[in-house]
Amino acid sequence: MEYTYKLMVKNLGVVRSDGANIPADNANTDYQQYLKWVAEGNTPEPADEVNNNG
Amino acid sequence: MATIINADTSDGLKLTSDTSGEIQFQSAGVVKAQVTSGGLQDASGVAITAQSGKNLIINGDMRIDQRNAGASITPTNAQYHIDRWRAYLSQASKYTVQQSTTAPSDFNYSLLATSSSAYTVGASDYFLLAQPIEGLNVAHLNWGTANAKTVTLSFWVRSSLTGTFGGAVGNAAGNRSYPYSYTISAANTWEKKTITITGDTTGTWVTTNASSIIIYWSLGSGSSSSGTAGSWSANYYDSVTGATSLVGTSGATLYITGVQLEVGDTATPFEHRMYSQELAMCQRYYHKGNYAFMSSSATTLMFNINFPTQMRATPTTSHEYPEGGTVNDVYNIATAATPTFVPDGNFSDINGYRFAYDFDAGLTADDGYQAFFYFSAEL
Repeated sequence: MEYTYKLMVKNLGVVRSDGANIPADNANTDYQQYLKWVAEGNTPEPADEVNNNG
Repeated sequence: MATIINADTSDGLKLTSDTSGEIQFQSAGVVKAQVTSGGLQDASGVAITAQSGKNLIINGDMRIDQRNAGASITPTNAQYHIDRWRAYLSQASKYTVQQSTTAPSDFNYSLLATSSSAYTVGASDYFLLAQPIEGLNVAHLNWGTANAKTVTLSFWVRSSLTGTFGGAVGNAAGNRSYPYSYTISAANTWEKKTITITGDTTGTWVTTNASSIIIYWSLGSGSSSSGTAGSWSANYYDSVTGATSLVGTSGATLYITGVQLEVGDTATPFEHRMYSQELAMCQRYYHKGNYAFMSSSATTLMFNINFPTQMRATPTTSHEYPEGGTVNDVYNIATAATPTFVPDGNFSDINGYRFAYDFDAGLTADDGYQAFFYFSAEL
């Protein structure tokens, strides 16, 4: 299964295309998969802009 | 008539060795245990110590199935199914897996793999059941050093097929492996198998919270990953040459349970841990729950989910409502609305999951919400 990713704000991690929230923890194997995906030349969607509603 | 030795004083009974310092306990002429200058030992000289915690396999009796509760699934490659048990496969839809209530005496569950077709395995194919073990739990084996300890793998197995089956013990890097074989003599009959593995004195064996030792059971492996049983190799192997291919026979079944990996060259009785212990050990890698929380604004959910046990790593998190329902939905307890909430940010660590916000979410401020959360820190 080929996922895509979107960055979360403040470098908290990434949101995978199946909705999973992946933290920026190098020990997390899903994050390792994301880093591998980036290393293969892929680019995640940018994070949403922070506004004052949060 | 048994020979009985009685103490004839009030000071107890004392057995004193000769100058060798050894006392042996024999059965039918075979040494079963001994006392030496090193203390109480088994026949091979391994210290007899507390048996609690001896099994390095988690959920070896297949009791815990948080994800599927006994339902059959067709796994994808690298998918976890029964807790701590993982499927590896090179071709989709060749077998199913599930927790089964078919089990040998003293067990209540097993892992059942069923072949979905009659597939001829290609040279580079692999169809595997596996359990990866965290380095922190096997660091004391000293693998990769001159002091590597011998271990023994034991398990109960039952199959509709007979013949020689294969598996392997390997490292996470895939550059050390020890293929093993076992024979199933009678179809549809539980048999206990024991494989003793000399500790690997070379190679890289992780001792941190990452994957270290991986135990494989092959359901069919091609020649590329099939080696010779009984010795360490610098190649990746997950089976032995010529092993029976379960996926080669449509409807063929393989059950496994009572899996134990322990220090020493002898298989001792399976360590039946308390259910709560076993569940907590599984929850270090995966757990789920139905949680309620509050919205503080249209875009922010406030919650503080403390994990039942410290997780191996900060977990990947997902949620849905209802369970098995729409991914990312949350349920408004007051209005029954189910807005979608895809966190743009969340705060969590190995101990708990904190608040999250989604700048696009259509929440109602200060309402109560509910959702099923899933936390995964698998190897």
